[in-house]
Amino acid sequence: MNLTLKVWRQKNASDAGHFESFQVADVSKDMSFLELFDILNERLINEGKEPVAFDHDCREGICGMCSMYINGRAHGPWDETTTCQLHMRAYNDGDTITVEPWRAGAFPVIKDLTVDRRSFDRIIEAGGYISVNTGNAVDANAIPINKTDADAAFAAAACIGCGACVAACKNSSAMLFVSAKVSQLALLPQGQPERKERALNMVAQMDKEGFGSCTNTGACEAECPKGISLTNIARLNREFIGAGFSKED
Amino acid sequence: MKWSQFFNTSIGKKLLVGATGFFLCSFVIVHLAGNISLLYNDEGHAFNTYATFMSHNGLIQFIAWGLKVVILLHAILALQLTFKNLAARPVKYAVKPGNKTSSWFSRQMAMMGSILFIFLVVHLAQFWWAMHYGVDVPTASYGGTEEYRDLYLVVQQAFTHEYNVIIYVIGMIGLSFHLIHGFKSACQTFGLNHKKYNGIINFIGVWFFGILIPAGFALIPVVIFFKQY
Repeated sequence: MNLTLKVWRQKNASDAGHFESFQVADVSKDMSFLELFDILNERLINEGKEPVAFDHDCREGICGMCSMYINGRAHGPWDETTTCQLHMRAYNDGDTITVEPWRAGAFPVIKDLTVDRRSFDRIIEAGGYISVNTGNAVDANAIPINKTDADAAFAAAACIGCGACVAACKNSSAMLFVSAKVSQLALLPQGQPERKERALNMVAQMDKEGFGSCTNTGACEAECPKGISLTNIARLNREFIGAGFSKED
Repeated sequence: MKWSQFFNTSIGKKLLVGATGFFLCSFVIVHLAGNISLLYNDEGHAFNTYATFMSHNGLIQFIAWGLKVVILLHAILALQLTFKNLAARPVKYAVKPGNKTSSWFSRQMAMMGSILFIFLVVHLAQFWWAMHYGVDVPTASYGGTEEYRDLYLVVQQAFTHEYNVIIYVIGMIGLSFHLIHGFKSACQTFGLNHKKYNGIINFIGVWFFGILIPAGFALIPVVIFFKQY
């Protein structure tokens, strides 16, 4: 099939940026969306032009790098799918596909479709960790954990930090990301020592990075490639309220 | 974290917006319960007795001024958050998802809140001002010695004009659309999200606050308008 790609081009963070259109012929339905860009880029390189910069790494749907906002949807039209797992059978001959970078003040564009997501790393540094004593490794499964809690923690831990929640939210809010990280630790015994500081510090850092606030529209949950649920945001709110009201300093 | 820091975070501010929102939800129930007496065919005896009580009882006067502070606090904090949210995306998307990923109601809270605020200013200027400070408000005594300011008559006369009816119906559509998302959103902000209760929270938010209450309010001007024919 033949497609028209309308791709955001931006030389660097200070460039204003613009859309550039490309015609791509003979696209196979079995290609992934990133392979479409590989073909386009090979052609651009052969023509002596600047290839489109885009983030990618594992191409297995687990690393969270492939940030593309495709026709108004983070990671394209399929539910619970990263861009690398989106295949061209989602499109028809003659379609025009608009591809933009994640748009958020806290995710400045580096070049074309690549954005700087280190604001997420700084939120993790603020509290998304647990302290572990050095010495002999403790027995696995030594601490009994309720199955429901273990499952909920595991579901929250499925977050790959891709930033689709921020990209999809009309407020560029990072609440789904932060709530997943807070939840996975708050639900487990290992997360208890830093529990209160974690909720307070991660939310404070999230605000400092310039993410918007949550208005509970649910767009993040709808676009999350790992199906992280809004119940995590409610849990983060409870953690934050509990810590804010009970912690003395 | 100090209280000043806590309530300056995004979640802290949202908690204040949610808490004031819950208070305003309780207010609309009381307000409708009283105002429904505008539809009684008793020449306003019940309504004017109620209106006089509400405007003279000390405790209610205190709550009424508190209510105005709460409305302003709710609006100012929500606007602050809205502007910060808009600023969080300096470059907008060329293609938007529309209703594919979120409901229209959930994205229009600021718009509906603004419509409601304008409506409230008109509403207070029209009736609250007349009741408290109006100079040529008629009186009624219902055969007794006590003279009531006849707010009932003021309301009945106002709603013989179609433009007033239209303003009030638009105001109540604003209230409906605001509360369809508002009530359950405030619950989520307070962390009230639980499989066993989400159904009832959604039902109360959408059907009770979002539809029944605004429809009840809107019914009053519509019925009064059609009574003249």
